[in-house]
Amino acid sequence: MPRITIVSALLLVFGLAAAGSAQAVDVEKTFKFYCAQCHGLDGKGKGPNVTKDFATTPRNFTDPKEMNKLTDGDIKTAIKDGGPAVSKSELMPPWGKTLTDEEIDALVGYIRKLCQCKGKQG
Amino acid sequence: MRLASTVSLAAAMLLVASAGQADPAAGEKLFTGKNCNGCHYTQGPAQEKTIDDQLAKKGPELWYAGSKFQKAWLKGWLADPKPIRPLKYNSLTEKNPGNHPKLSAADAGAVTDYLMTLTTPEVKKGAAGKGKKLKGKLVFMKKMPCKGCHQYPKRKKVLGGLSGPSLVGASKRLNPDWIYAYMMKPKVFKPVKMMPVFTGILNEVDVKNVTTFIGKFK
Repeated sequence: MPRITIVSALLLVFGLAAAGSAQAVDVEKTFKFYCAQCHGLDGKGKGPNVTKDFATTPRNFTDPKEMNKLTDGDIKTAIKDGGPAVSKSELMPPWGKTLTDEEIDALVGYIRKLCQCKGKQG
Repeated sequence: MRLASTVSLAAAMLLVASAGQADPAAGEKLFTGKNCNGCHYTQGPAQEKTIDDQLAKKGPELWYAGSKFQKAWLKGWLADPKPIRPLKYNSLTEKNPGNHPKLSAADAGAVTDYLMTLTTPEVKKGAAGKGKKLKGKLVFMKKMPCKGCHQYPKRKKVLGGLSGPSLVGASKRLNPDWIYAYMMKPKVFKPVKMMPVFTGILNEVDVKNVTTFIGKFK
């Protein structure tokens, strides 16, 4: 009986780990599909749309100094409602009708991994 | 002599009539024969459900081509294709190689006749109405991020981002009723796409205005 319990527990742990990694892969895919157009595949803010007449500098997500100035809430609002919602450029689109809340939360987590920072608490 | 002239005239008239006649079936045969459907699917409704589905496509779907494009433009483009997207389809790193197959004028005409039969009732004639160009300009240039991803003409320059299809020449290429329908119900046409959904962000009047503005791009 204990053996069965251990096996079940192990299966559960592996199952959760697999689900977690699947989700990580998906958020990377979401980032590369939607965000990389301007923020770049590596998140450094140099996507193909950033030509010489692009009127703003897309956020470099790998810069912990800049990214630490933002709360997770700030990032979420910017993604959901667009740049103007956080007093930034209209070139940052509102993604709230395209992405689900879960996808946006996952993107916030992904961006935090890119900056390796926790951000302003608030 | 008189009979001969009449017969010749009739034959000539018949020839002219048949030359101008649309032959979608011949166009469809060419489309399949040249493996155009290797890159473009023509059977609606939209099939993409995931990002992977979209990324697996080699070219844009054409199941509503007859509602989207203007016939004269399509015929000209198929005979002399020039890149519409600055970047390769579905790529953020590679430039559009500009290697779309080129058709003879006769084949381009036939394929156009076929593609123009691919319509959808989702695009309603006259739906775009007459918007206000200047208000549309405000949406395109100031309120929304359109220019971040789409090239557009400004005086004699081409400005704008590269990840979306260029809107230069939209006045000749696109049916304004399609632009309107696509903005209002994007998921009907492209369920998974890199462009944000603006339904619920822009209202019907905004969309009519921006359609009018885009519809005048030379």
